[in-house]
Amino acid sequence: MSTASVTPQTGTAPQPNPLETPRENPALTPALRVTRVVLIALGLAGLAWGAYVLLDTVKPARIPGIALWMGAAIVLHDAVISPLVFFCGILLRRAGDRTSGTVILVVQGALVVGSIMTLIVVPLLIAQSRGTGNPTVLPLDYGVNFAVFWGVLAVITAAASFGLYARGRKRLR
Amino acid sequence: MVQLIMRQVMYEAQRALASPVRNPRMATVIGRLLGLAFVLCFGTGLYSHFLQEPLPGMHFATRPELLYQFTQGTHIVAGIACFPLLLAKLYIVFPDLFQQPPVKSFLNFLERASIALFVGASLVQITIGLLNTYQWYPWPFPFRETHFALGWVLIGSLALHIGIKLPIIARVWRKNADDGSGDDDHLTDAVAHDRAATPEAVRLFGSSRPTGVTGRLLAWIDATPALRVERSRSSASGPDAPDSGAAPQTAAGTGSGPASGPTADPAAPARNSAAARNRLSRRGFLTTVGVSVGTVVVLTAGQTVAPLDSLNAFAPRKKGVGQQGVPVNRTSKQADVAADALAAGWVLTVAHAGVERSFSRAELLALPQTEVELPIACVEGWSQLARWRGVRLRDLADLVSADAEASFRLTSLEKKGGYRQTTMGSEYVRDPLTLVALELNGETLDLEHGYPARMIAPGRPGVLQTKWLSRIEAMDV
Repeated sequence: MSTASVTPQTGTAPQPNPLETPRENPALTPALRVTRVVLIALGLAGLAWGAYVLLDTVKPARIPGIALWMGAAIVLHDAVISPLVFFCGILLRRAGDRTSGTVILVVQGALVVGSIMTLIVVPLLIAQSRGTGNPTVLPLDYGVNFAVFWGVLAVITAAASFGLYARGRKRLR
Repeated sequence: MVQLIMRQVMYEAQRALASPVRNPRMATVIGRLLGLAFVLCFGTGLYSHFLQEPLPGMHFATRPELLYQFTQGTHIVAGIACFPLLLAKLYIVFPDLFQQPPVKSFLNFLERASIALFVGASLVQITIGLLNTYQWYPWPFPFRETHFALGWVLIGSLALHIGIKLPIIARVWRKNADDGSGDDDHLTDAVAHDRAATPEAVRLFGSSRPTGVTGRLLAWIDATPALRVERSRSSASGPDAPDSGAAPQTAAGTGSGPASGPTADPAAPARNSAAARNRLSRRGFLTTVGVSVGTVVVLTAGQTVAPLDSLNAFAPRKKGVGQQGVPVNRTSKQADVAADALAAGWVLTVAHAGVERSFSRAELLALPQTEVELPIACVEGWSQLARWRGVRLRDLADLVSADAEASFRLTSLEKKGGYRQTTMGSEYVRDPLTLVALELNGETLDLEHGYPARMIAPGRPGVLQTKWLSRIEAMDV
């Protein structure tokens, strides 16, 4: 790798993190500054009102459950879903080492679409298997629909990838 | 020492996670859509809330008849669209989780705490909302009250978040107004392409890399090839070609000075290639988000949007599925009303100021009948247009000489449940389309739809279209 053009850093630690948002507060116009204050004030008011409504309508014994769910949601996303997505992305990139970027992006995109649909459909399947006591709730054959969905997604992805691959080859010739 | 290791871990995490789509501009683009979805959900949710629990003096529009079907359908569709949008937004800003130092100041602590609250509330809100439509409640708190309170928390957090981030948003907008050419100068972008240890890291941490498993994992991540962009001959020269020239971007990235050698830059072609790769990544990301939103919406919205009915693969309801072609929210068994509803002695009592009149079903059928076409639109987001036939409520109100301004209290045969007794404002009572319905789609009302008699009024939530009516009473004006 080439480091020739890297300007050497001078000065002592701590240095600003290069990933931080640069130029934190560029000159905001007065109108924007007012907007900002109003938004923050409204936001705090909304939060306070939400907290009041929560305490007013939900029994105190139930509130730790809500906090637990919110905490668990954050942990589930940050510690499970995100690393999973990250490593899937790397694996895909490596597997498609010699493939064109567009093909990788198509496959990656299809996996994302399929995964999000799966997130929505799996609870549906669980709820259906538990039974709702009401035949008009969850009346469809969701398992079959789910299989068809992934099948159609796979076919579309394969067709698109092949089309892009063929186009890429043609261009290179 | 521990602090140093933490810093290095955070630094490596951010570097490994850096990607061309993880930049303030993309955060603004997706954030705008997500914010719009949140506002739609909040507004329609508030409307639905006040329909069910009006503040004193509130009156509502009864036209168009499809109003509630539209607002609540929007609530659910926008809520489902939030799944891909929220995940995309979190994906973009995920590296910020590893900010170092984790807390810079008290204000920074408050900001990070508010974001945690925002994220937690958003995830819980869309999850319990979705599961509620499946009528599955695996949580230890009441749905309706929690969903309403979190709605306020969410909208407050949104305003707060936009306020805090306004300088960044304004900068992105200003850049857009120019020409968008500044696309590639975001720091996260630049670091993304330097997959090996940087002098910056060496300077910060002494050694280039941790050893052992962590080091190997990081090396493995670094060795992952970047996206290849097909560009006439340059990319055909070898699979590694785009990688080799990525490092010079770091110069701009450290922000410590301008890149050296502005004239006759030998790295220019490589930089062009990196820029093309970034564009490709961003387009791919936006397309993926768009297709995801389209997919989840199109495959579920058919439960309320009739033209999409044939594509309804994953909605919890299906148009036309249910007794007499209409879905049911609460069954007679769940409400425990079958015995009373089918009893021979059932009468509907209409009362006003001490005057009470009772009507058997036969007597109601003997009154002038009106047929209307109205949707039953559920708070859970499904709706079904149907033909209803019965007695106008205002005719019954006139029979007991109720005041034209009077609201009515409707009581069901249900023994318990939050909607056993509800109040109907005068605007609905006096509407010519509001019926005490006795027939549905040309047949005697099915028990599941509220036999012997139920309410049907334009633009009201299904839970307020009281089934198994027992008593209708004018309230004092």
